Amino acid sequence: MNSPDISGAQRLTPAELQAVNFRRAPLGRRGFDEDQVRAFLGQVEQELVRVLNEKAAMQHEVGRLRDRITGNPQGFSPVQAEDAHIQAVRILSKAQETADHYVADAQRYSREIAEEARRGRDEILAEAKARAVLVLDEAHRQASTAAEQVKPSSEPLSEDERRNLESEIAYLRTFSDVYRTHLRSYLEALLRNVEEWDHSEHDSTPGARTPLPRPR
Amino acid sequence: MDAQALKDNFAQVAQHGDAVALFFYSDLFLRNPGLREMFPIGMSHQRDRLLSALGRVVAQVDNLPEVVPFVRQLGADHRKFGVEALHYPEVGQSLIATLRYFSGAAWSDALARDWGDAYTLLANVMVEAADEDAKQRPAWWNAQIVAHERRRFDLAVLRVVTDRPLPYLPGQSVAVEVPVRPRMWRYYSMANAPRHDNTLDFHVRLVDGGPVSPVLVRSAGAGDWLKLGSPVGTMTFNERSGRDVLLIGGSTGLAPLKAILERIARSPAPPRVHLFFGARTADGLYDLADLTKRAADSPWLTVVPAVSEGGADGAEQAEQGVLADVVARYGLWRDHDAYVCGSPAMVDATVERLVGLGLGMDRIRSDKFADA
Repeated sequence: MNSPDISGAQRLTPAELQAVNFRRAPLGRRGFDEDQVRAFLGQVEQELVRVLNEKAAMQHEVGRLRDRITGNPQGFSPVQAEDAHIQAVRILSKAQETADHYVADAQRYSREIAEEARRGRDEILAEAKARAVLVLDEAHRQASTAAEQVKPSSEPLSEDERRNLESEIAYLRTFSDVYRTHLRSYLEALLRNVEEWDHSEHDSTPGARTPLPRPR
Repeated sequence: MDAQALKDNFAQVAQHGDAVALFFYSDLFLRNPGLREMFPIGMSHQRDRLLSALGRVVAQVDNLPEVVPFVRQLGADHRKFGVEALHYPEVGQSLIATLRYFSGAAWSDALARDWGDAYTLLANVMVEAADEDAKQRPAWWNAQIVAHERRRFDLAVLRVVTDRPLPYLPGQSVAVEVPVRPRMWRYYSMANAPRHDNTLDFHVRLVDGGPVSPVLVRSAGAGDWLKLGSPVGTMTFNERSGRDVLLIGGSTGLAPLKAILERIARSPAPPRVHLFFGARTADGLYDLADLTKRAADSPWLTVVPAVSEGGADGAEQAEQGVLADVVARYGLWRDHDAYVCGSPAMVDATVERLVGLGLGMDRIRSDKFADA
């Protein structure tokens, strides 16, 4: 850890908090939950910023009042104008902070949604894979049954055997068709899902096509 | 100019952390409302960068040879944001106002004068660097997407054509801005050696919750316009070494390595090249088909795909494991030049391993792509 030195005259600052880097826990040993540590550091940093800001504002206020008591020859109006500007800076800063929070929240929200969607996708894929394996197994089983029936045919086939085999082949064809249809409709349903998902994303992005920007 | 006084004063002010840059920008926008539109809506990222740049400059204010190249680079880079010489005095005024506010009783006329002098000096360096840069290249290039191919649900390969030649070295990257995300610049590496038809390829992977990459992967398409900044980056091909080459790319970290590979393929006597291309799962090896084809056509090239998770299905020919381990398994690389690109964790682990295998740091060039 790049630990801030708070023992001496040096005071802990928000910038130092931001720069803190914890070493990774040694291999095979668990450390603290990184997110939790980060979140806590963030909280402490915000608190420090707030305290320091209040201190700066108070210092400023003390200076202003001192000037007024000692009868600053500058008079009132420039002081008041400066105060108004500082007030405006504070209001704008507050507004910007609020906007930053909204942006950060939106980004976190969209990250969470994306992660969830990704999990859903993985589940759907795993399910499709499992089904495909089942279908394949069934087909293999049917094929080996058929192969066994064909095996003794080293000697010429009788009329009956030929008819039996032909009907077996016909059955296998139908079976394969049915499964192919099943698989296709299943995959098409999946595809529709994905397309819907795509469309809803697309609609949520404002018009990506804009005219050619002009170079200066 | 009393450099130590400036450093002490800045250290005192910097205690207030983010509030300093917040005050600075609010003051700047109040005095010059027109400047607001040069910045993104969310400003937290911007504030971090301002403070770290200021801190870096102030820390070396008495060592100009150290700080001038950085400041010149800043000046040239700011051209793509539309910054002009006339903006500098306005920024200086707000900077002084901010320092005075947070200094409280410690502020003095002498400090005001010294800060003014220091700022003017640095602003002149930035303006001069920007002017010189302007003689050589545009502030930005316009580029139109001509092909957009989604290789996976979160991965796209884009081809763009620029409105004028964009000279760069294989391995470099440019900042990219999309119109629906104004003032948000993200860096992407060119995935090809420079071509005569002004086309460039980019490999973009979607970052969850990111502002730019989801647009480039999901909603951008042929016909859309982008803005590109000047090429940057130091993971460029060492043309003069003559040594054999080791290229190691994780996911879209492959892009700059492909540019280097193309550059090597054009040389009359290419050195031997080993390219390791890694991903978590087999479907993350989005460009393996092209690499395999190149390897089949080039006897000097060996391509090794590697998969770190997710079983063997679909990746029968891929090695199992993280790139650092796979590369180490393939032997000694002491006589090679290595180029490594990918996530920060992947690059750190791989570079550490190469050094452990006896490869000198001076023979390793690397580039990390940002997580956001």
